[in-house]
Amino acid sequence: MSSLVEQVPRNALVWIIASMFALLAPHALRIPVWVLLVYIVAVVWRIQVHRGRWSFPGRVVKVVLTLSGFFGVMASYGSVIGLEPTVALLLIAFALKLVELVKRKDAYVLLFLGYFVCITEFLFSQDLLVTLYSIFTVVLVTTALVALHQPGQQRFSGSSLRLAGVMLLQALPLMIVIFFLFPRFGPLWTVPIKSHTAKTGMSDFMKPGDVASLSQSDEVAFRVKFAGEIPPASELYWRGLVFSRLRQGVWSSLGYYEVPAGEMRPREVATNGEGVGYSVIMEPTQQNWLYSLQYAVSGTAGVMHTPDYRLYSPGPIESEYMYRARSWPRSVVEPELSEWRRKTELKLPPLGNDGARSLAQRIRADVDSQQAFVDAVLSYFSNEPFHYTLKPGRLTSSDQIDEFLFDSRRGFCEHYASAFVFMSRSVGIPARVVAGYQGGEINPVNKTVIVHQFDAHAWAEVWLEGRGWVRVDPTSAVAPSRIEWGLEEALASEGTFLADAPLSPLRYRKLPLLNQLRLRYDALTYQWQSWVVGFNREAQFELLHELFGEISARVFITLFIGSWVLVLTPVAISLLRRKSTREINPLDKHYLLFCERMSEIGLARETGETPDQYYARVREEVPEKAEQVERITGLYNELAYAGPGRAERSLAEFISAVSSFKPDRRRF
Amino acid sequence: MNVGAITEPFAEWRRRSQARFREWVNRRIPPAREVTLDQKRIFIFPSRVGLFFFICLLVMLMTAINFESNLSYGLTFWLVTLFIIATLHTYANLSGITLRAVRAQPAFPGQQSEFEIMLERGRRRDHYALRLHWPHGSEALVNILDDDPVRVRLHVPVAERGWYSPGRLLLESTYPLGLLRCWTWVDLDIRAMVYPRPLSWPDLSGASSDAPDGAAELVVGDDDFFGFRNYQKGDSLRHVNWKALAKGQGMQTRQYTAYAERCVWLDWEMFPGLGVEQRLSHLCYWVLEFDAGQEEYGLRLPGFTLEPDLGERHKETALKALALYGLEEHP
Repeated sequence: MSSLVEQVPRNALVWIIASMFALLAPHALRIPVWVLLVYIVAVVWRIQVHRGRWSFPGRVVKVVLTLSGFFGVMASYGSVIGLEPTVALLLIAFALKLVELVKRKDAYVLLFLGYFVCITEFLFSQDLLVTLYSIFTVVLVTTALVALHQPGQQRFSGSSLRLAGVMLLQALPLMIVIFFLFPRFGPLWTVPIKSHTAKTGMSDFMKPGDVASLSQSDEVAFRVKFAGEIPPASELYWRGLVFSRLRQGVWSSLGYYEVPAGEMRPREVATNGEGVGYSVIMEPTQQNWLYSLQYAVSGTAGVMHTPDYRLYSPGPIESEYMYRARSWPRSVVEPELSEWRRKTELKLPPLGNDGARSLAQRIRADVDSQQAFVDAVLSYFSNEPFHYTLKPGRLTSSDQIDEFLFDSRRGFCEHYASAFVFMSRSVGIPARVVAGYQGGEINPVNKTVIVHQFDAHAWAEVWLEGRGWVRVDPTSAVAPSRIEWGLEEALASEGTFLADAPLSPLRYRKLPLLNQLRLRYDALTYQWQSWVVGFNREAQFELLHELFGEISARVFITLFIGSWVLVLTPVAISLLRRKSTREINPLDKHYLLFCERMSEIGLARETGETPDQYYARVREEVPEKAEQVERITGLYNELAYAGPGRAERSLAEFISAVSSFKPDRRRF
Repeated sequence: MNVGAITEPFAEWRRRSQARFREWVNRRIPPAREVTLDQKRIFIFPSRVGLFFFICLLVMLMTAINFESNLSYGLTFWLVTLFIIATLHTYANLSGITLRAVRAQPAFPGQQSEFEIMLERGRRRDHYALRLHWPHGSEALVNILDDDPVRVRLHVPVAERGWYSPGRLLLESTYPLGLLRCWTWVDLDIRAMVYPRPLSWPDLSGASSDAPDGAAELVVGDDDFFGFRNYQKGDSLRHVNWKALAKGQGMQTRQYTAYAERCVWLDWEMFPGLGVEQRLSHLCYWVLEFDAGQEEYGLRLPGFTLEPDLGERHKETALKALALYGLEEHP
């Protein structure tokens, strides 16, 4: 009985298959290759069914396919818990559903699943391009949904696309209103983490060559917007990690449980003046550390402050993340060092690198203060033939610092920082390696600082009596241009800047047009991230407060209802507007008027009765009206059927005949 | 325990609420030959698919909240507002359509009557996936894609002699997204005539003939006038008694001595002692027989006389008289 409605039009099938592949594409690199094969087989199968060559899978086949999909995912990922396996399962379910797509209700399941696949893409990236692409897939899925309700369309048709586009556009303004008004609250329960995504950026340990390899990448690490003036590039030391421990040539940071309870809280730092305010939007790193200028305090909810004065997120940064911070670069950090801290920051392996130790002793013996020692080591780096290079070569001996200091003398920032901290500690100056980024590119379009992976840097901090922790960058002694102008300048003679990425737009900064385009797009990305991606509870509160003052339930409800009325009214009007009643020609209109009058006296015209037949009946029933009715009928027939311009009598005559016709009510 | 005792009050309540609903619908959408759908006549409510979609939206919202993903929020809200916008589109898809009852084909009991409905669009707007359905009848799925009205034929089985009213016609659509169902129940004031059930009657022992002057004259058993003879070459094939041939009685010709002047009257009084319905059934049978044999016949019912004649129109008049005999609306 309901078979007519339940059929899936061919046009809809085409749109469904198109949207399936569109949904798959952004996930393609994230899922095992065999899932792609499942897709292709599914589509071929369904098309063959449509052509009548193959048949729909039986129950047993379906069960076997579902189970093998499940175990396939399990085998590929090692588990089915986690975001990626879930997405892979969703995609397989999506493909298998297509094979058994018979009726319209199957198509609904398939398409709603499609919307959900679309959402999962956002859990991996909320990039502007990903968003634009997702809009495209949403339009496709919606088009398939519309095509499903246009029966009889056996050929591929664009009309469904048009309607889907119009509806989505009409839905857009309200969506924006709800987006900004809907209250944001935290997660309701813990969600599977993206255990399978590679971590990017700095890691929590460092051995020689690590930062150099990170510097091969042109990816953006984070973008910063300063509230006021942008400090000079040489002041932009973005601290992310502090390495306090050296073990077997590897610097690493202290774990959470290695810090005694009494040392967990950072000590109060006396600040002076306003400081520098800025907000940072980080690209996902799957790591916990955040980047800030020394000494930083963040008011953003959820940001922690570590005892070594860094900012830290309790959960890994899995998607674009925005936080605000304020820094006081001139403040004295930790003027009093605790016993535990002093011991920790002085600790060296008991043996090894004897050359470095004795060199430090010699330099320390020549000078009379710790500050002078620092200066002397820096001038040692600048006077001796040290070489700043992205290709330092591997250090093979067990005394790597000695090998670097006296043998190769080729190094990237981590070599210099590492050697400097080692030497300082060996003469009793508390010191540590700090890793993060240095500098950044200022985008003139929107005055943001773009920090790339190749800005990765490592430097040192020494603790001096009365001055607290002081930043020392040994690299600046070897290659001052690195600090002033960035990596590209520093490596200009070597030509190794982004050598492995010939297509990176950053290599073409000298071409004005290309560079302009790149910076504009980056500004757009920043805008996107700060307004849409970084929109959280605080941003929401600030925005609403700024626009409407005090937020109360009344304001909220008024806003909601008001915006709905504003958006829905024009749509409703455009859809439901009547064209000044129905277009009906005056001749028919007056004849119908006449019929209506006749029906008042109980002589309604029967369905399908021609004017002549009707007249014949009226003549029998009310002979006294026969003459008038005959005249009206005759006029009507003549005007209606004589053809344009041929009628002898006029429409006016007919209208007046109808108007003057009064049926006799006394009959009833 | 008596099951009926429980179900009966419920059935009673059901019946009453249905009656109340019918009454309400009747007031709201009174019967009319032509109905243009407007907000008074259109009902709209989320469909079962819409409820399913709503659950999907809740899952999406949960995902957005738990992953704190703003774009997931965005997409979820976009689909929510799409749902809302779809309300207007679904409504507009039905609004403005004019339904017109064109005709209903008469039928015999047990057969299906064909009802023809014309759908016309009111504004320059396409209407898609309109499902028309009469309770107990067939359904149709149509689009109105241009200015030409669309004619739809629906079949409904009819039961008893007289006027058959198919009840309210359901017009529904879930276009364009299937999330909402928009429907109306219109009474197009259309009815089909149901003829009496034809029942054979072995012979016309009571058939009366009509003299040219119009005076009734009994011709019972008059062989010259009404009978059969063996077929001879040259006899019109129209006068061959095909029924007898089929029974294996050989080819016989219906013989008329003066069929130009004289003809048969089918008379109410020919079936003495039978009930009204039986008489009508037999008369109906003979009207069809004579019509098939291309013989002139007249019809006499109490209060109604149809002069002898032949032809489609004549047959229809006769059948109509039989169909409506004794009912309040007499032709």
